[in-house]
Amino acid sequence: MQKILIVEDDEKLRNEIEIFFNNNGYKAETLKTFNNTIQDILQINPSLILLDINLPGADGQYICKEIRKQSNIPIIIITSRNNEIDELLSINYGADHYITKPFNIQILLAKTNSILRRSNMGKIQDQINAKDFIINLSNSTIIKEGKEIELTKNELKILKYLTENRNKIVPREEIMEYLWESESYIDDNTLTVNITRLRNKLEELNLKQLLETKRGQGYILK
Amino acid sequence: MKITNYLKEKSIQITLIIFALITIEIFLQAYPTSKFLKIYIPTIILSTYLITTIIEYTNKNKYYKKIYQTLNQLEEKYLITEIINEADFEEGRILKEILEQINKSMHENVNKYKYIQEDYKEYIEIWIHEIKTPLATSKMIIENNKNETTKSINEEINKIENYIEQALYYARSNTVSKDYYIKQTNIKDIVNETIKKNKTTLIEQKISINIHDIEKDVKTDSKWITFILNQIIQNSIKYKKQQQPQIEIYTKQRKENITLYIKDNGIGIKKNELARVFEKGFTGTNGRTTNKKSTGIGLYLCKKLCKKLGIAIKLDSIENKGTEIQLIFPNSSYIQMQ
Repeated sequence: MQKILIVEDDEKLRNEIEIFFNNNGYKAETLKTFNNTIQDILQINPSLILLDINLPGADGQYICKEIRKQSNIPIIIITSRNNEIDELLSINYGADHYITKPFNIQILLAKTNSILRRSNMGKIQDQINAKDFIINLSNSTIIKEGKEIELTKNELKILKYLTENRNKIVPREEIMEYLWESESYIDDNTLTVNITRLRNKLEELNLKQLLETKRGQGYILK
Repeated sequence: MKITNYLKEKSIQITLIIFALITIEIFLQAYPTSKFLKIYIPTIILSTYLITTIIEYTNKNKYYKKIYQTLNQLEEKYLITEIINEADFEEGRILKEILEQINKSMHENVNKYKYIQEDYKEYIEIWIHEIKTPLATSKMIIENNKNETTKSINEEINKIENYIEQALYYARSNTVSKDYYIKQTNIKDIVNETIKKNKTTLIEQKISINIHDIEKDVKTDSKWITFILNQIIQNSIKYKKQQQPQIEIYTKQRKENITLYIKDNGIGIKKNELARVFEKGFTGTNGRTTNKKSTGIGLYLCKKLCKKLGIAIKLDSIENKGTEIQLIFPNSSYIQMQ
């Protein structure tokens, strides 16, 4: 499991972020003292650091700069400072992303995922094996017993999201928010159309029974 | 300096001179003197006086006229003391010295208020900085405890967040210092960020988004322009119509500018209120009647910030049809140099 280190001096906030990342498939750790922040971070050696700028002792931008001298660990800066200069400075010091408080946690999670995916390039396969079928992300297809069917960009994303949340009812709004996050601003009707098409494609692979509609609640992939 | 006024001021002097001339003439008449002296003495006295008066008048007149001319040309009139020459007569020197002292004291006074305002702005910035952490924490607690109640609290927190943003930019918009940083910015990134920021509300309210032709670079401060766009989008959400609400966002490239259009099909604005929408505190019929609780700050701030960034903002609306806002980014590199 990938380790995420939260360097934030507000105790409540760091605990909540810790809970959130632990709930979302990561192992989150926090720093509780800030006397030897840089050494502590390097010793823990996480896969990714969430770093606040205003910290007791050394400030986040300095820490960022120092860590970059010794390591390539991805760093996401989380701060209340909402101006271009701080953002530029942080990026110049080697931060990978700059997010301002109060942040949208889903965006933070998405950024974390994408950074880690990139830094693990090669290790992670571009296929998702979902037992009954395989999703091939690189050429946007779904495969079952050698039979291959092409999916559109949105269909692929919907199927991927449902697969990641398998056996859970996923509300329509949640799917839409997920798609909006990747900048396809589909509306309610388009989602219905996409789901219908996806279901037809699943039918071609005799998988239609997997995707169920829960009236008034959403969809579930069984 | 009018010659008549000048002479009026000299009236006592003139009367005395005339009196003196008359007495001299009486004495000259009383004693046996040559006819030449009788005429020469008064004439020489009179002409000396006249010549000195004329020289003095032209001198002063030239000096004050110059001051008036420069004053009229000056945009910032208080700079006059830096420009006028030293006078070659005492009154002029006194005037200049007085002006310089007044100016100095005025500057000190103005600086005092500048300092107070700057100080207050800094306090607001710090305050906003501080409040963001508890806000972020609240949102995290909500995220980790999702249910109907926290969802409702989340909506309220989003409103608080918007009010706080407004306060921050209000403070920034009022100071003379330059808080922004102009750089090459892609409109697409700004639009996407704003839409994503409002996605929960947009999806929940079933507002469809139509974005096209926004792959354009402009020179601006991305944080400021994101704030402006966010205010506009939130207005579109607030004043949407019930059936098939829609927001369309696109750009048009022209020779001298790039224009970003934000068009909705909402309830629109009454024609007779259009001229006032950018006024501070103006809420209009929509803001008062539709239970929307408008503060009349959003668009006012947009206009003010746009002016600072060198962007033109235009609003057009037809009641019950929709509203269109244009943000016009000039192509010239002028703002870069400011």
